[in-house]
Amino acid sequence: MNDLAEMDRIPQLVCVDAVTRRFPLDHSFVSALDNVTMCVEPGEFLAIAGPSGSGKSTLLNLIGCIDKPTSGRIVIEGVDTSTLNATRMTALRREKIGFVFQTFNLIPVFTAAENVEFPLLVQGLSSGERRERVAAALESVGLSTRANHRPDLLSGGERQRVAVARAIVHRPALVLADEPTANLDTRNATQLIDLMHDLNRRIGLTFIFSTHDQRLLEHTDRIVRLTDGQIVSDTLTAESANEGASHGQVLASRV
Amino acid sequence: MGKFLLLAFRNVFRNRRRTIMTLIMVGGGVAGLLLVGGFFARMFWGLRESTINDGLGHIQIFTAEHFNREEKHVLDTGIENWRQVAASVSRGGHVRGVAPRIEFNGMLSNGIKSGVFMGSAVDPVAEESLGFSPRLSTGRDLDTNSRGEVEALIGVGVARSMSVRVGDGLTILAVTADGALNGIDVQIVGIVNTGYKEVDDRYLRITLPAAQRLLQSDRVTNLVVGLDKTENTDMVAAQLAPRLNGMAQQLVLKKWIDLATYYKQVRSLFSTIFVFLGVIVFFMVLMSSVNTLLMTMFERTREIGTMLAMGTPRSWIMALFVLEATLLGVMGAIVGVVGGNLLGALLNVSGIHLPPPPGTTVPMAFKVLHVPSLMIGSSILVIVSLALAAILPAIRASRLQIAEALAHV
Repeated sequence: MNDLAEMDRIPQLVCVDAVTRRFPLDHSFVSALDNVTMCVEPGEFLAIAGPSGSGKSTLLNLIGCIDKPTSGRIVIEGVDTSTLNATRMTALRREKIGFVFQTFNLIPVFTAAENVEFPLLVQGLSSGERRERVAAALESVGLSTRANHRPDLLSGGERQRVAVARAIVHRPALVLADEPTANLDTRNATQLIDLMHDLNRRIGLTFIFSTHDQRLLEHTDRIVRLTDGQIVSDTLTAESANEGASHGQVLASRV
Repeated sequence: MGKFLLLAFRNVFRNRRRTIMTLIMVGGGVAGLLLVGGFFARMFWGLRESTINDGLGHIQIFTAEHFNREEKHVLDTGIENWRQVAASVSRGGHVRGVAPRIEFNGMLSNGIKSGVFMGSAVDPVAEESLGFSPRLSTGRDLDTNSRGEVEALIGVGVARSMSVRVGDGLTILAVTADGALNGIDVQIVGIVNTGYKEVDDRYLRITLPAAQRLLQSDRVTNLVVGLDKTENTDMVAAQLAPRLNGMAQQLVLKKWIDLATYYKQVRSLFSTIFVFLGVIVFFMVLMSSVNTLLMTMFERTREIGTMLAMGTPRSWIMALFVLEATLLGVMGAIVGVVGGNLLGALLNVSGIHLPPPPGTTVPMAFKVLHVPSLMIGSSILVIVSLALAAILPAIRASRLQIAEALAHV
């Protein structure tokens, strides 16, 4: 808790405070996360790394408010999510968080533009505003010319870029990406990494992603490593140091 | 809302083969209901018209007393100034003609054996003008201008019982309006087979003047009004009612439906059968659709999880599933209505005949009516059925745990 108190001096986007997540298994429980504490500042480009089963996706799910911790709390922009009911939690996800999935998860019957439009539709924006924002989002991922194509007519890389456009179109505070390059070849993975990095640098959008991908890890500002549901290291990378450590605070290895 | 509807519409066609199978099933249900309902409607129509044209007419006029009390004497509740009433009624629009009738009963004898009859006295010309003709098995109809003996038609049962044929004579006895017993000799000119044994065993018909002479009364029991179209019955009845109020006697009119007890019983029976069929189709569509929609829900688990993760309200997910099922119902209804009507039209020109109904000897043509209310009703039935079928999958979809749904393979 001292670490958290120390970090409270800086405006935090996300704070994970002593979070544990257990899942029932037969007649016992298995711990996916065990007393994890970490914070994320606005504008970070952060990777959660670790072997399979280390709790990466569980941590992302908890930060993304699509799962609840067994104990501990998640604070997003100062809001303790454990105090929110289901409706407010949904609203929080709708307004503050964008998701990019490993398998793209685009709606197959919608075109690229319609997929990108969906979060705005849910937010209840007018059709004019939706049109403008969709065009800008597709432009930012370099897919303006593919707007009217359905996902099955797009390559894997293009689909994931549509997913990124969908994740950023409603201007969230945070984008969560679960193994975003896992299903892409090297060329498409590199393009996607460059795209996310560019969005992070250009508009200061915070990215948190889980990954095994060394190519992606090389571009991150900070890497949080998990093993068996616990943080084993939390380090700033050379990339971050080269760019002047925008957080203003060096987070030394915690373990 | 437009995009939401678009999403639902496209989702319906996501698995084309399954959608086509569902449309065939739903459309088949609607088409089946239209064919059965259309056949019943045609049967009702045929029964209605035959009931009316067999002599019931569209409207009958009685004195109010006829329904209020039993007659003390023959025809004492009959219509006195019936010629004036008939003339007044005939002047109305849509009226084809008015036929006076006397309903009476008594005994008949062939000199050796006696029996009872239930007789009716008619004006053959008026009856013919309304298209009412007895179902003769032998002989001919009554002749108004007959100069010889009083003519009579008898039922086949009477003829068998009395051992008489066309050209033979019978004596009929009845109580007069004064309470005395009177009798006349009649000559049989025709034998009638109505198709109903109970009627044929007591059937007797003579002319109106002969009956008035027998009963010693100028009154008639009722006036039968024939219209140009059955559909005009209510309108004409509404127009006639105030006119009848101005008559010396208090008169009431009865529409054909009030008097057609057999028609109402048949209609009620077949309507019940049709409702039963409708219930079967409803549950057939409901149960098979629940299965299909549940499969759809399982297949789209990850997609639903994605939508929920993006902050889509759970109520939207429910609404999406119900909307998809409703669209499927609407399309199935369209397929069913188009298919059912085409099939009905095909059957109508095919010349298929069904075996003769009980009591008749003529095979019944298989004809189907195209009934708009039936099309609307059947369509609503399957649409509601599908919308209800979607509720369980919709609830399950909306209650998915997002993290689990996203991990669904």
